[in-house]
Amino acid sequence: MTAARDMTPLLTVENLVAGYGDQTVLDGVSLTANVGEILVVLGATGSGKSTLLRCLVGLVQPRSGRVLIRGRDITHASRTEREAILRDVGLAFQDAALLNSMTAAENVALPIVEHWHVDEPTALMLARMRLASVGLAGAGEKMPSELSGGMRKRAGIARAMALEPPLLLLDEPSAGLDPTTARALDELILGFKARGNMGVVCVTHELGSINTIADRAVMLARGHVIASGTLEEVRATPDERVRAFFERQLVHGEKRASVADELAWTK
Amino acid sequence: MAVPATLGADADRAFRQDVLRHGAGTTVVLDCAPLARLDALGAARLLRVIAEARHAGLDVRLAHLHDDARQLLATVDPAILDEDRPPARRNPFEAIGETSLGAAGAAVSVARLVRDTAASAAMPFGRDGIKWDRTLQQMSLVGASAVPIVVFMSLLIGVVLSLNGAQQLRQFGAAIFIANLVGISMTREMGPLITAIIVAGRTGSAIAAEIGTMKISEEIDAMRTMALDPIRFLVVPKVVALLLMLPLLTVLSNVAGIGGGYLVGVFFLDLGSNAYLSQTVQALFISDVLTGLVKSAVFALLIGVVGAYRGFSVRGGPEAVGRATTSAVVTAIIACIMADACFTAFFYFTE
Repeated sequence: MTAARDMTPLLTVENLVAGYGDQTVLDGVSLTANVGEILVVLGATGSGKSTLLRCLVGLVQPRSGRVLIRGRDITHASRTEREAILRDVGLAFQDAALLNSMTAAENVALPIVEHWHVDEPTALMLARMRLASVGLAGAGEKMPSELSGGMRKRAGIARAMALEPPLLLLDEPSAGLDPTTARALDELILGFKARGNMGVVCVTHELGSINTIADRAVMLARGHVIASGTLEEVRATPDERVRAFFERQLVHGEKRASVADELAWTK
Repeated sequence: MAVPATLGADADRAFRQDVLRHGAGTTVVLDCAPLARLDALGAARLLRVIAEARHAGLDVRLAHLHDDARQLLATVDPAILDEDRPPARRNPFEAIGETSLGAAGAAVSVARLVRDTAASAAMPFGRDGIKWDRTLQQMSLVGASAVPIVVFMSLLIGVVLSLNGAQQLRQFGAAIFIANLVGISMTREMGPLITAIIVAGRTGSAIAAEIGTMKISEEIDAMRTMALDPIRFLVVPKVVALLLMLPLLTVLSNVAGIGGGYLVGVFFLDLGSNAYLSQTVQALFISDVLTGLVKSAVFALLIGVVGAYRGFSVRGGPEAVGRATTSAVVTAIIACIMADACFTAFFYFTE
């Protein structure tokens, strides 16, 4: 591997403009993500975070701009090229999006069988190992409907990691989870970073997760990047929306903590 | 006309009737001065009247609206206060044009789906070929499970055809020709069509429901992000299973239908078993059976692709899956009957 290859960002987004019908959801978004770091994309509901994620994997075709994954343009790629590029990306959906007609292990084994062309028993064995690595040892034979919300998210992450992609995309991994499960997921994400050979882009608005995992952050508001840099740099941005986001999250966090304390005390 | 001071249930009903009594194109000015106070329920009633009147083609304008009331109405729909917009009702030509464009768009999408399905199925074997394990599973669902209902329905159709024919043919002492009537009708028309209608109801709806449910739960998107082609995984096995099983079911339907005619001919009309069977064999040409089988293959393609198209078109929640399922069955049946009419016309003029 050459030094020049190492300098190529894992993910480059250039002037991305995207939307649905007449509505523009992303308006000139640019960002980069590198190997060995966790980039957090944050913003309020409706700011365009999920649309950005869908553009990154070609589910939404942008009106202009481009997305480069390891230097390869996915926005203008043919179907075959896009499929090749996507093998370098794992996306864990907010609601996991596991195939409901398959067990958790079969879900994880599916991309392994199709892309690594290994026989199904071997792929299932590997899938169980992937599930064990996200704390789901022994849950491989369960159907998605038999898993809890946190377990489904973990299984979704295991499937996204099935082919050991260098780029992992996570859509609201800790949304709707209790604090303990959310913390465990944060640790899991930090574990991916510790491998040193991959990068993570995590879309979230959970301040607890942001504080724990973010190396760098990009904040979106109404389809524009209004702040980017390290978390401290983002916090220090003199933009009312950034300040409001962090303060409101803090107030909510404190309220949640005080309610939790109260409940614990009454018990 | 004046808006009542309070928009209670009775006042609202009378007010609505008064407003809607005006013909399309009329400008109706609603004088809101009497509205001393407008609560949420009153605002909802007023908005409903305005929306219905505009839908009916009336030009509704609001006069003397208090600021508080204006603000309340604007929270629900700011556009409702836009008095210069054209009436909501489209003229019939616009409606016809819009429907035609929608139908043309759907036809193009179905054609693309056929092309993609054919491209995915072009390489039947090998690593990137047809998923035969899934196809066999679908063949069992499409074919084996449908055998009892297809046989039962076709038997009854055979009985009905022969009983109806018997009433007429007996008058001329030509009851034996019921064998011709049933044999030719079943193999050329009724067998393929009845089987297609049953399979459209069972399998077309199942295809739309399965793909639609996967669409709203983001499973299709998940497959795409894993670089797995949903057409190859979901559509090709179902269409191939239909293409293989529908002709077989049609053969069973033909046999069952002729069997129904045989029962009536032998046990009700006393035609004699050998006479009935030999008359059937004499009446039928191999081309009759082959015509039916060609039709059934086309029906199979239509049912599979229309079901898949309706499934992929699902937007929204579970109720959209229900609608897609219904429209998959209706569209598939219409498409099959239209194709059947084309085939029949073609064979009539070419033979």
